[in-house]
Amino acid sequence: MINGNLKATYAADERVLNNSYKQAFVYGTMLALAFFAAFANEYMILIACKMGILLIAVVGVNILTGYTGLVSLGHGAFVALGAYTVTMLDNGLTGIIPNQFMFFVVVPIAIAVTALIGVLVGLPSLRVKGLYLAVATLAANFIVIFLIEQDAFAPWTGGVVGIDTPDANLLGWVLDTNREMFILISVVAFTSLLAAQNLIRTRVGRAFIAIRDRDYSAEILGISLLRYKLTSFALSAAYCGLAGAMFAFFYSRILPEQFELDLSLELVAALIVGGMGRTMGPVFGVMVIVMMPEVIKVFAAYFTGGDAASARYISPLQEIAFGLLLVFFLLKEPLGINHITDRILRAANRWPFARG
Amino acid sequence: MKLNRRSFLATTAATTAVVGTPMILKAQPSEYVLGASLPLTGPFATAGQLVAPAFQLAAKLFNDEGGIAGTPIRFVTEDSGYVPQNALANYQRALATEGNAMIGYFADSTGAMKLIAPELKGENARIMGSTSFASELANPETHPYQYMSGPSYQSQFDILLENIAAEGGKSVAFIYSNTEFGRDPIEHGKATAERLGIEVVLEEATKPQGADIPTHVTKLAQSGAEYCILQGYVTGVWPQLIGGARQFGLPTKFKGTFWGMEKIIADRITKEAGPFLAGYEGVMPYRYFWDREDAPRYQQYAALSKEMFAGTPLENYMSTWAIQTMCGLEIAMKAFRDTAEAGLELTADNIAEKLTNISDWDTGGFFGGPVTMESNSIRTGRVYEYDTESGLFNPKSDWLTV
Repeated sequence: MINGNLKATYAADERVLNNSYKQAFVYGTMLALAFFAAFANEYMILIACKMGILLIAVVGVNILTGYTGLVSLGHGAFVALGAYTVTMLDNGLTGIIPNQFMFFVVVPIAIAVTALIGVLVGLPSLRVKGLYLAVATLAANFIVIFLIEQDAFAPWTGGVVGIDTPDANLLGWVLDTNREMFILISVVAFTSLLAAQNLIRTRVGRAFIAIRDRDYSAEILGISLLRYKLTSFALSAAYCGLAGAMFAFFYSRILPEQFELDLSLELVAALIVGGMGRTMGPVFGVMVIVMMPEVIKVFAAYFTGGDAASARYISPLQEIAFGLLLVFFLLKEPLGINHITDRILRAANRWPFARG
Repeated sequence: MKLNRRSFLATTAATTAVVGTPMILKAQPSEYVLGASLPLTGPFATAGQLVAPAFQLAAKLFNDEGGIAGTPIRFVTEDSGYVPQNALANYQRALATEGNAMIGYFADSTGAMKLIAPELKGENARIMGSTSFASELANPETHPYQYMSGPSYQSQFDILLENIAAEGGKSVAFIYSNTEFGRDPIEHGKATAERLGIEVVLEEATKPQGADIPTHVTKLAQSGAEYCILQGYVTGVWPQLIGGARQFGLPTKFKGTFWGMEKIIADRITKEAGPFLAGYEGVMPYRYFWDREDAPRYQQYAALSKEMFAGTPLENYMSTWAIQTMCGLEIAMKAFRDTAEAGLELTADNIAEKLTNISDWDTGGFFGGPVTMESNSIRTGRVYEYDTESGLFNPKSDWLTV
């Protein structure tokens, strides 16, 4: 029996944070992030920003893979598109649009462009699904990187040598330090997460879930597969485009090699480890994928003192340890880390009664 | 004392000065730290694993010599997997852990240098060397804290092209990997070739790994180039290209830059596929390790290697990649020591000034003679030719400075 969790109105039942533990968790996290921004050192800020950027992209992949059931191995391309569109537009519009408004112009355009390309990439999803779709989306990654690297576009993209990126300028506030960028990235990531959570509670979100659970049943129910599959692709690509925009503002330079297949695989891996089709899944997944190698490194450095002789042997072991940890997580929690927190929250909710 | 606005401000200012001063005067650390990111895993793990022991050797050598004005030095090396973002994270972590004790950093790629460059400002600035010879970095105005332990790829191309001109060559092909590393000197090389009256008859970009060799060799044959300069490869592609050309019966003379000049790779190719690298030439900024008669510093390295790496292949040979790293560390140490001897605090600005002004410096045999830093790089090198029988790269030219 769940205590202290009485819902007397529909509104109360439909709230995103529908019990006090969720509220405490979310408000506590917001407070922790504020303290983090004020007191963390540069290294922690850097890692947190990496996590924030990846989180926005994984939330996008979650909409497509977790909620709509469409697998994509090409979402790194959308991050690249976001990053390059922002940089190219910023360079092209300098002098035309005042710098303090640039952010509010280039970011929405970058999101729109990636959403549009997302629709194009999503077209095969109407004919193929599962592994076949995964292979079809792979092409997006290669095509986008190929185009970025072409000499013909090099005056705009920088080609293989990459291009310097602008600083974000919010109405005159130039975010030229990592700490300032952390504030922006954490606000954007938090908002993205909230928007995704709300999306799933709408008619569109429920259509996604119906398609995931059985697409032809969904079609019989009157859900247009064409419309919703492409909407899902567009939305998830838009999220990745936003992540790319943050990536460009955060790092001082972008290179095509930063957006290759590895990134697409990292996005999917983070989602699987965290928990597909769950709001908090991407959060936990990103924490593991980004933080675990760093934690292993810090531990290794603690024991070896950074000595070159030990580093030669420890470094490959770190990679193996990271791989084994991922396997361990998947074996112990095939539904993702989100499932562990579900159990903890449920136990807390029912305490002192049954903890199942 | 009557407390009014003036006396309050004066008291506050005095208190701040007394309390704040110790924070401004930085205490000299008990040891100095030099951080490093190496590709100990990933695509260039072979190079990273060969370079890592150089840091062990450097730590022992520099500390036996008294460190920096009596203060010992410690190296903190970490793996980057050849991913620039990882190198940036390693740098930030080292900065957070070691603070002001860390006075320099060594990065493992051009990408890492470019990504870390904007972080080098104010309190976070540190002197930074790397394995990169990217021309863009040889610019003290845009990269005041970063330096190069040899000539840039552009300068290496100049050395090769001047050598070709001296041999009476009239046409050259540029074959390069389609990477930043590969493309770096191509435009500059074309301009130099034009100046020297050499025609560039082919510019061919290839994949950095697993390139389509027959196609590239056919294009080379069609171009009829007398010489071919290969750029942007480390362990693969360049030997296959030369092998393919020899099978095709092409008389083209091949030349490479620093990363294509390692004996270990050339020996392995010769052992596996025969002596087709005969006559392969390239520019190498430093002496090879076996040529240490006139290189007292190399003799010290050799003695230490025998002691530290006994029973391993490193006992008798130091790879060109490790020599490059050692040269980078020697330049940094020279700048650190010069700064300390001048009685200056070891801040990035003070060290950078000393580094930029290094002139007529006897490196102990790395180069042909005393060297001077120009645009934070050392623009000298020599053309060597590989001998498949002895397995040695023999000098083909005198030391050339461009």
